Amino acid sequence: MDSLSAATAESFRLLFSGDADLWIIIFTSFSVSVKAILFAVPLAFVVAFLMAHLRYPGRRAMIAGFSAMQSIPAVVVGLTVYLVFSRSGPLGDLKLLFTQTSMVIGQALLALPMLVALSHAAFQAADRRVWETSVTLGARPVRAFMTLIHEIRFGLIAAFIAGFGRIIAEVGCSMMVGGNILGYTRNIPTAIALETTKGEFAQAIALGMVLLMLALMLNGMLAFFQGRGVMSS
Amino acid sequence: MTEILRYSDLRKSVHGRLLFDIEVLAIHDRTCVALSGKNGAGKSTLLRIIAGLEAPDSATVSYAGQDLSWRRAARKMRGNAIYLHQNPYLFDCSVTDNIAYGLRRRGMPLREISVKVSEALEWAGIGHLQMRNARELSGGERQRVAFARARILSPRILLLDEPTSSMDSESRAQAFRMIKLLKDEGVSIIVATHEYHTLAHLCDDHLLLQAGGLQSQPPGPQGSERKIIPYS
Repeated sequence: MDSLSAATAESFRLLFSGDADLWIIIFTSFSVSVKAILFAVPLAFVVAFLMAHLRYPGRRAMIAGFSAMQSIPAVVVGLTVYLVFSRSGPLGDLKLLFTQTSMVIGQALLALPMLVALSHAAFQAADRRVWETSVTLGARPVRAFMTLIHEIRFGLIAAFIAGFGRIIAEVGCSMMVGGNILGYTRNIPTAIALETTKGEFAQAIALGMVLLMLALMLNGMLAFFQGRGVMSS
Repeated sequence: MTEILRYSDLRKSVHGRLLFDIEVLAIHDRTCVALSGKNGAGKSTLLRIIAGLEAPDSATVSYAGQDLSWRRAARKMRGNAIYLHQNPYLFDCSVTDNIAYGLRRRGMPLREISVKVSEALEWAGIGHLQMRNARELSGGERQRVAFARARILSPRILLLDEPTSSMDSESRAQAFRMIKLLKDEGVSIIVATHEYHTLAHLCDDHLLLQAGGLQSQPPGPQGSERKIIPYS
């Protein structure tokens, strides 16, 4: 119990004294996950919009497919990306394994199904009159799409936050494709896993607190962006 | 009267059932046409096809004397033939931003937009609502914003889908007043309605969509009686 208290006290010291190793890990985590989500979101929104807006063969299978892919474990995504970028893999020549780029790709692939499924639900629930009103008032398709995004922004922000929450806290994919290299590919979840196995709880607790704070912030943001939280008349 | 738009051999099916097969539908400038028919006859679908929002199965389109495919005609209709839903959709922003929407899409300078929006607000009698969020307005106020938002684009054709259904008498009178003003400004108007008698005083022509065909009825109050004259 005493050692746990001491570790907690030490974790606060690390956080507030500006410990370089700790803050590099936090920065790496945010840098990789923000890039991944920014890469995945536009693609997910376009795919989700097309699935909700167009009628084509295989559409329902595609919707079910993205929905099912949400439950693929992070470690399986990591394994797939690892095999693709490994020396003997199809993209091995790019030498991306154990780099932040491969982590961004892995996390983007991990977030994509959730982003598509949740944003598709938002697009599907959108009032068809939004698109028609935009078009009849002279908007070109891209502009009408942006108007539609604005009108259903709360649902899309919720998708964004859920997707970011999924990747910022995942271990399996980052560990496999990043390699947990200190100062380069070590992020919050992989550092927590490593420090815990070493019995070095102070850094693990400090990083855990950062993740907890982040979770609270994301939920706060979601509540804020949901606006008044009432149905429109 | 100059012919603006002509649809020939216009066919539309829904789920394998023929909705209508119209030989000729011509829209002339400065006219107000009532389009009546039973529920499910295809009035809204016809208006949406004219607006370029829904594709017909087949059609030959002539716009301003030029023969076009429906797809090309649809592109030309954007902002020129404006469709107003039965319950117009207003974007989740201020009344001013709603009215300015179409002008912004045209890339008009902001100063010019501001002048035009002020004028449109005054025209519709909604100057006092300009900073309100459009979602907070009553049904009648929404209708006035939608009319102002359409009028500001100076459309050649306005397609109104049951514009006065489920409205109180005051809002209905305001809608009629605005339709009359738009007609006087030279806009061609087609109004889908199942209550022709309420609009008879505004309309120059009355078309009945029935059994998949379009038939011309004599305009005026007597037009609500089913005297069928083939339309061309």
